[in-house]
Order: sequence, then C-alpha cells, then structure tokens
Amino acid sequence: MSQFLQAAAYGFVQGGLLALVAVGFSLVWGIMNVINLSHGALAVTGAYLAWLLNTHFGIDPFLSIPIVAACMFVLGYVIQRGLINLVINAPIFLTLLLTFGLGLVILNTLQLVFTADDRSIETSYASQSFVIWTVNIPYGRLGACALAVAITVLLALVMTRTRLGRAIGATGMDRGAARLMGIRARHIYAVTFGISAALAGIAGTMIATVGTFNPTSTPSQLTLDAFVISVLGGLGNMYGALAGGLVLGVAESIGGLVLTGTWVNAIAMAVLILTLIIRPSGLIGKAQYGGRVEV
Amino acid sequence: MANSWPTLAGIAVFLAMLGLQQLIEPGTQRLLTAVFLFVALAQAWNIIGGYTGYASFGQVAFFGLGAYTVAVLMNNYHVSFWAAMPVAIVIGVAFAVGIGVPLLRLRGHYFAIATLGAAEGAREVINNMTPVTGGGGGITIPTFGDQAPTAYLGKPGFYIAFLVVAAASVAIAAVLARSRFGYAMVAVNQDEDAAASVGINTTLVKVIAFGVSAAIVACAGAFYAFQQIAFYPTDVFDTSFTVLMVIMVVIGGSGTVLGPLVGAVGLELLAQYLRVNLGIYNQLIFGAIIVLVVIFFPQGVVNFFRDAWRSRNFSILDNVRRYRL
Repeated sequence: MSQFLQAAAYGFVQGGLLALVAVGFSLVWGIMNVINLSHGALAVTGAYLAWLLNTHFGIDPFLSIPIVAACMFVLGYVIQRGLINLVINAPIFLTLLLTFGLGLVILNTLQLVFTADDRSIETSYASQSFVIWTVNIPYGRLGACALAVAITVLLALVMTRTRLGRAIGATGMDRGAARLMGIRARHIYAVTFGISAALAGIAGTMIATVGTFNPTSTPSQLTLDAFVISVLGGLGNMYGALAGGLVLGVAESIGGLVLTGTWVNAIAMAVLILTLIIRPSGLIGKAQYGGRVEV
Repeated sequence: MANSWPTLAGIAVFLAMLGLQQLIEPGTQRLLTAVFLFVALAQAWNIIGGYTGYASFGQVAFFGLGAYTVAVLMNNYHVSFWAAMPVAIVIGVAFAVGIGVPLLRLRGHYFAIATLGAAEGAREVINNMTPVTGGGGGITIPTFGDQAPTAYLGKPGFYIAFLVVAAASVAIAAVLARSRFGYAMVAVNQDEDAAASVGINTTLVKVIAFGVSAAIVACAGAFYAFQQIAFYPTDVFDTSFTVLMVIMVVIGGSGTVLGPLVGAVGLELLAQYLRVNLGIYNQLIFGAIIVLVVIFFPQGVVNFFRDAWRSRNFSILDNVRRYRL
C-alpha cells in the first residue's frame, strides 16, 4: 500500500514538472495550430542556460528563472517572427518540418558547444526530502511542482484578464477578425511563441535541478510528453495541461510499479490513443479546439 | 501518344540503373540501395499523406512489422524469404486496416499523433513478445550454410531487389494517380465533405490508400530485414524513418509522383554526402537545409518549378511570400 502511495506521490510531483513543459506547447498548438517539435530542444536550451549561470556565477536555479525566461522569450520571439510566421498559412506538415529542422539545429549546436554528456545542477536541497506518513517527498521536485501550478494559474490569469492575453486568445479564435480589430497578428504570434519558449526554459531549469539532462535523448522525450499531455488536457487550455501532466505522471509512475518489462513506455501512447478515441477534446478541452476541423 | 513519355522515361531510368550496376563498385551499390529504399518509402507516404492528405506519422510501424514478420518466419520456422515476404505485406495491410478504420476518422494533427502512438505501441508489443521475437535482444536471420532458408542476396542482389521495389512503388503511385481512385484521393484531400456528397465512399478510399501505402512499406521492411540480417526493435521501429519519409515527400513536392522521387534521391544523397564529408556538423547542416527548403520552397521543389514554368515567374521571393502571415 505504502508502495502505491509513494509511487502516486512521486508521479504527482513528476507530473507537475511535465505539465510545465506541456503548458507552453499546448498554448502554441491551441493558438497558432503549430505543433512545435523543437519545444523539447527549447526546454533543454533553458536547462543549459541555467546550468551555465549556476556553474559560472553560482546563481541558484530558482533565482535564475527570470533571466532564463527573459532570454528564452527573446529567442522564441525571433524564431516565430523570422521563421515560423513565413509558413504559418501553409499545410500542417510544413510547420512540423520547420520546427523539426529547427530542433535539429538547436540540439546539434548545443551538442557541439556542451558535448553530449549528462549534466545536472547541484543544489543542497534538491536531493533532500521529508516524510509524510511513510511517503518520501523530495524538496526539489515539490518546489518544481508548486512552481508549475503557480505559473499555470498566472498564465491563465494573464490570458483572461489582460489586454495582451485577450489579444492572444482572439487571434487564436479568428485571426482575420482579430486583425480587423487592429491586433497585429505577427507580433501577437511572436509573443505567444516567446511565452511558450520562456515556459519551456523554466521547465528546463527545473528538470536540470531535479535530475539530469543531455542534448540527445531528453528533448525528444520532452516533446513527446508535451504532445500527449496537450491532447489529454485539451489544446490551448492551461488548466487542462496541468491536469493532463498530473494524470500522465501518476499513470506512468504507478504503471512502472505494476507492469513488467518495457510496457511502461507504452503507457503514454495508450493514454493518448484512448483519449483520442473516447474524448478527442481532452479532459477540460473546449469543443472549439477539439472539434475544430484542421486543414 | 503524348502522355506516354513519362512511362517511357521511367522505364529508361529503370534500365539505366540496371546497367549502371555493372559499372559501379559495391560501396556505391550500397549507397544507391539506400536511395532506392527511401524512394519506395517516400512514394508510400505520398499515397496516404500527399494525395489523400492524412499525415501518417506511424508508417514505421508497417516497416517494423514487415521486417519482424520476415525475420520471425525465417528464423523460427525456416520459411523461405520469398514465401515470408508476401506474408509480411499481408500483415502490414491487416494492421493498416485494423488501425485505419478507427483512426482515419480523426483529422489533421490528431490523425498524425494517433498513428505515431500506434507505431510506438506496435514497437512495444514486438519488444515484449520475447519468446517469439527475441524482444529487446534483437533477432537474427540465418544466412549461412544449411540453416539458411534462402541464400543471402549480397550487395548486387539487394541492389536489384530494392531497385525493383522502388520501381514498383513509383509505378503503383503513377497508376493510382491517373486512375479514378486517384481523383477520389485528391477529392478527399481537398474537401472530405464535398467528396462524400458527390458519392465517394470516403472511408473506403482512405482505408485503401492507407492499405496500399502500408503494403509498400511492409515490403520494403521485409527486404530491409533480410539485408540487415540482425536488428533490434529500436532499429526497425525508429521514428526517424517516418520523419525522413515525410521530409522527402514535402521537400520534393507532395501529391505528385515525381516529388517523392526527387525528394528521396536528393535528400538521401545529400545526407550521405554530409555524413561522409562534414562529420560532426552533418546533423546541424541537415537541419538548417530542412529549414531553408521549407522557407523557400514551401510547396515542394517539383511543384515550385512546375508552377514557375507555367507562370514564367521564377522569383523565389514571391514564393516565400506565398504562405507568409
């Protein structure tokens, strides 16, 4: 029993981390209908930034978040304005291909600069943990999970309460109408992608704090997880991504306990296909996104 | 017969490639064998992704299933390759129909993800059927002495085998494209509801297109397995096969017969060249080239030059503006 509780608790905090990766991915997908295959690469870029700040200047990863987020925002803005906006009206494969190529460029650059070795940020607290009723909870992961929840709530507030957030939402619903209302779609798309990249960078920082990362296997795993969580939660829905991440984290963690062999790798995909067949709009998704006919 | 020249050109290229084999060394033969493999894979993806408009990201499932069917039959049951290969095609098609009927109801990105998931699932099933498939430890096809059900074909043999597979895939795509069924696929791509309203059984069209595509990929997978002799589930279920198929078709020009051919030949030769000459930078340059081609030729190289020739407008700048926001 305590084994299950431990697995559930671990899955929960792990899920929060995954949710943080997925929120930005889901935002870009929901607003621009772009599946950003370089999302994992952007997260790992953020991880390297935080790692550099930590090893060279001794800045704590939680404190380096604003710097990482600002750098990643600028990078994301430039990528969207300079590249993705050029093919935004093309069929879906093209944005897929573009972001795939972009991911290759980013990752191979990282690999040339930092080598393919596993890295992690060492802190005094990340490996410490406390015990609640036989369940072990590590501080680092709990902090990352709490941050994920806080950022998700903040982003949801920004999206509904501010002029910028409403402009982003409006552009996502109907770009033509939004432009007629005087919204500069190019700029809004770039800001959206910038926010997504900043969130990816923050997630990368947290991943570097609680575990290891490298430029070869980490990015594709993160992109795939973000994919599954976005579909599970419902596209463009911040709380959906959070719920999706938590569900996936717990499912994988408990699955790892119950299943033998490598079946645990199939859990994410099983969750994905079941969601698509039973409820394509996701856990909390609106029909607007789930039922949208895409061209 | 004004329209027979593409057929004649195709046959001429096929014969030229057959003749070329006598002139080139084994290393070059192996390189061209890989090119032929990708021509077949790209043509197959083009049928479902290019003509029908359903971007399947699970094509590698058929490749892996074809490879494993052949390996299991040859290794465990001592079946001849020529008997095992048709079984591989049947299994590939059966899997395509099995997942196609529920999944082809999904559109756009959703279909892409669902097929990706199906491919990952298929890999895990093969990976965990250890008594039959050897699981993660891989599988080996016996190729020497009395234990070999079929003698190994060698580099010259596989050159011809993959050339025939590639030529067959081009021929199938060309015949389909010009048939009534080809128009049905394009109609489904352009507007599925309109296609249904003029009496096209859209479900049937989609499932058949998916099945034909799967048959070609499974056949290629079967030959690939025999060529490799020993492999692991991660080799033949590698998602990068799917990604390469998509890239080749889109860069060459989707929805044309020539596009996948140009994309596969161009990209595979380029990738090999980069691998040999640029060492550690090859992936970086490859990614950069993908980005540049997508930006400058978003509709594919073949489509760009066809349209440019018709309108006498070769401006690449105008082309970049085409899909710009």
